[in-house]
Amino acid sequence: MVDVNATLIAQILNFLVLLAILAKFAYKPLLKAMDDRRNRIINDLDSAEQTRLDAEALKEQYAEQLAGARQEATEIVNKANQIAQNLHDELVEQARVEQEALMANAKERIEQEKQQALLDIRAEVIKLSTLIAGKIVNQKLNSDKDQKLVADIADDVLNKR
Amino acid sequence: MEIAEASGSGIIHYLPTEVFDGVVINMQTMYMSWLTMAVVALIVFAATRKAEIIPSGVQNIVEVFIEWLNGLMEGNMGMEGRRAAAPFIITLFLYLFVGNEIGLLPQVGAHFTSPTNDINVTLGMAVTVSFTVYVLGIMRNGLGYFKHFIQPSFLFLPLNLLEEVSKPLTMALRLFGNILAGEILLIVLYMLAPWVIPDLWIGFSLIVGFLQAFIFTMLTMIAIAPVFRAHH
Repeated sequence: MVDVNATLIAQILNFLVLLAILAKFAYKPLLKAMDDRRNRIINDLDSAEQTRLDAEALKEQYAEQLAGARQEATEIVNKANQIAQNLHDELVEQARVEQEALMANAKERIEQEKQQALLDIRAEVIKLSTLIAGKIVNQKLNSDKDQKLVADIADDVLNKR
Repeated sequence: MEIAEASGSGIIHYLPTEVFDGVVINMQTMYMSWLTMAVVALIVFAATRKAEIIPSGVQNIVEVFIEWLNGLMEGNMGMEGRRAAAPFIITLFLYLFVGNEIGLLPQVGAHFTSPTNDINVTLGMAVTVSFTVYVLGIMRNGLGYFKHFIQPSFLFLPLNLLEEVSKPLTMALRLFGNILAGEILLIVLYMLAPWVIPDLWIGFSLIVGFLQAFIFTMLTMIAIAPVFRAHH
């Protein structure tokens, strides 16, 4: 039952033939498919991880931008408020100054008018007084010396008033 | 004395045939070996005829075996060892597995025996493994590969040579003995109790067939491993 003969050689050849055929025609495509699949899965996982990282970075960037935009908006509003306040203050100040100028002007004008009126009245008073006095003292007091005396008195009177 | 005859050479036929002058070949073993080769080739080609990224059907089943063997190969021989030896190991396992189970087919129409019930086959495989180790060793380390025969000192040469012979011999005899014993016991059981009990034994033999194929393949990996470990 246990006799070694040429079957041993034949079997070695058998196996080598099977190995050669399978290695050439079967294992290469199969092992390649399995390797491809493994590589593809590794790649997919890698790229998924990469995409996740990218998304995270993008998210962070957006958050940063949003915060920046918010801050900028706050700044703009603040600035606008400041400008409005300044403008308001300026206008109020200007109005006040203008008003004061107007008032001063008006007062001056009134003062001038008043002075003018006083001068006019004085002249009139002199004229009238002179006339009245002249008429009253026509006979006695119509020389230039008299006239001067009357003017002095009139001035004295007007200034005392 | 039927049982005694059965357990002798009476019932396991190897059909030794003198094909040329002085060249005797066991034709039954050859037929079964060819059948095994055909089945293995059929399965593998069915799986790889359209090898696809997303596997289905037979490809899935074969890939399960290949992934399993790949894992074992990487564990024992490293990445490089797997690349170099994968086709050999996978073919070896599939051949032995199919060969061990083929003898358990119902004896209808043809007389099915395992090719591995012949010492010529198992010894042939063991010798093939030994030479594969030498070839891989020379391919990787040049003739310096054989230096390990005189390590740690040249006094170990006889011991190392003995080991080099005994390892394939034990591998061959273990497989041969298990499968032949299984087949003989199956025939004996059929004679003793034609129903149920032989079926249980067939179930057990199916497991033994897988186990012996695995053990032989595993020992092959362990034999190849030092070749790829030498550099690391």
